[in-house]
Amino acid sequence: MTVGSLLQVDKLTAGFGLTPVLFDVDLELQPGELVAVIGANGAGKSTLLGALSGLVRLERGSVHFGDRRISGLRPEMIVASGLVHVPQGRRLFSTMTVQRNLLLGAYRRRDGRVQQDLQRILQYFPALADKLDRDAGTLSGGEQQMVAIGRGLMARPRLLMIDEPSLGLAPKVVDRVMEIVKTINQDGTAVLLVEQDVVLALEIANRGYVLENGRIAMSGAAADLRRDPAVRKAYLGV
Amino acid sequence: MSQFTQQIILGLLLGGIYVAVALGFSLVWGILNIVNLAHGALVIVGAYITWLLFDRLHVDPFLSLPVDALALFVLGYALQRGVINRVIRAPLLFTFLLTFGINLVIVSLVLLIFTADFRSVTPSYSGNGLHLGSVTIPYIRLGGLAVALLLAGILWAILNRTRIGAAILAVGADRDAAQLVGIDLRHIYALTFAIGAAFAGVAGGIISTSQSITPTAGDPYTLQSFAVVILGGLGRVSATVVGGLAFGLIEVLGQSAPGLGSGYAGAIAFVVLVIVLVVRPRGLLGRLA
Repeated sequence: MTVGSLLQVDKLTAGFGLTPVLFDVDLELQPGELVAVIGANGAGKSTLLGALSGLVRLERGSVHFGDRRISGLRPEMIVASGLVHVPQGRRLFSTMTVQRNLLLGAYRRRDGRVQQDLQRILQYFPALADKLDRDAGTLSGGEQQMVAIGRGLMARPRLLMIDEPSLGLAPKVVDRVMEIVKTINQDGTAVLLVEQDVVLALEIANRGYVLENGRIAMSGAAADLRRDPAVRKAYLGV
Repeated sequence: MSQFTQQIILGLLLGGIYVAVALGFSLVWGILNIVNLAHGALVIVGAYITWLLFDRLHVDPFLSLPVDALALFVLGYALQRGVINRVIRAPLLFTFLLTFGINLVIVSLVLLIFTADFRSVTPSYSGNGLHLGSVTIPYIRLGGLAVALLLAGILWAILNRTRIGAAILAVGADRDAAQLVGIDLRHIYALTFAIGAAFAGVAGGIISTSQSITPTAGDPYTLQSFAVVILGGLGRVSATVVGGLAFGLIEVLGQSAPGLGSGYAGAIAFVVLVIVLVVRPRGLLGRLA
């Protein structure tokens, strides 16, 4: 295990039922980093996040987070350890208010600073401040994505894993969401970003991994990946 | 006219019992997606606890309701965590079979312990009522309705005002998303079932004051809870209240219609149920999704 890693994934094989979706995935992330996982539809990106957050069962391999082995732990224990997964498609509790959704993000916290954090997080998303009493399902797609990220932040994560935040959003809104993701990272939270929009992801990330058919095909500094001919051909269409 | 008013009042009072019985059933169905065929058995266990306390220790039946709630809460938590949780993600048929089996086991145990003799709880005020002109309101039934509405209020407050309630609703809405915010699914499942059982127990306590109880007397209440939830709609406390009261009204008014008698009570209610399913499948107040 690399010294000082925040997240260390070794030879992870996982999937549903008999056929694995991921094969021998190695991945590592330093404190404070913003790392992107890119790849085509069906490459296994969401399964990877599911395996890290405990929703998908591991067949082989191990996951270490901080100084603990978290593979095999139940999802709620993984959340409690500070690894938080913002799922694809927002997955908000749509008939509950925005405020309740955000507070549920802090479900495992017992400290008294939850209300304080709610105010702090609203500074990232000023648009939500006057919509706290609305049902989450009535918000626009971009606002819902903000609630989803905000709900993740309410757990006080050391590493926030965000799955396809750009999905189904207008280009302008996507830019705004990516800006927020970057700001969150600059404020000290490590981010693992799964994204189909490769250009955007590699623009804000420090490093990237390319996932192809369940295997890591390539990895490196985001700037290098952006220039790599194979990446350009496969994902940027140039 | 006063005859009609009397029928309306009796219908609402009967509806109160249906509200009490259906609240827990509706909660378990809505959150765990389990149609609990053992619900009536849990009701009757509550009824026997109230009877036992009344018969041996002369405890007023309404004062024994918290005991029913507590006992059934513990039983419900253990039942879910120990048995039902094993098939929680299995197809509906499995949970049907399992809860049907649990119903048989509980009814048989009750039969062994209490025998098949009719038991009744008859506090000193059981025959009395409030007389308003020519209309009479039996105290027992009035107390039952009050308890039912109190239960509905408590459930609403738990679900909408507490952290645990938010977790229960979250699990009902999206199990995976609930896990991702750190909710322990197994605990919330068991807790939800325990609350449903506690409410069933209280309903049983109320029922023991207005009818004789036998080990199988709870069975019809499973079916009636089902009807109330279909009628009112799933997913809201207010829907169960409206569904229960409406079901009671329909049953009482239906059997007093010319040409029909008390024998038709069940039939009328279920005909209305079928009509609701055809015309408005989500129930009177149910959510669309």
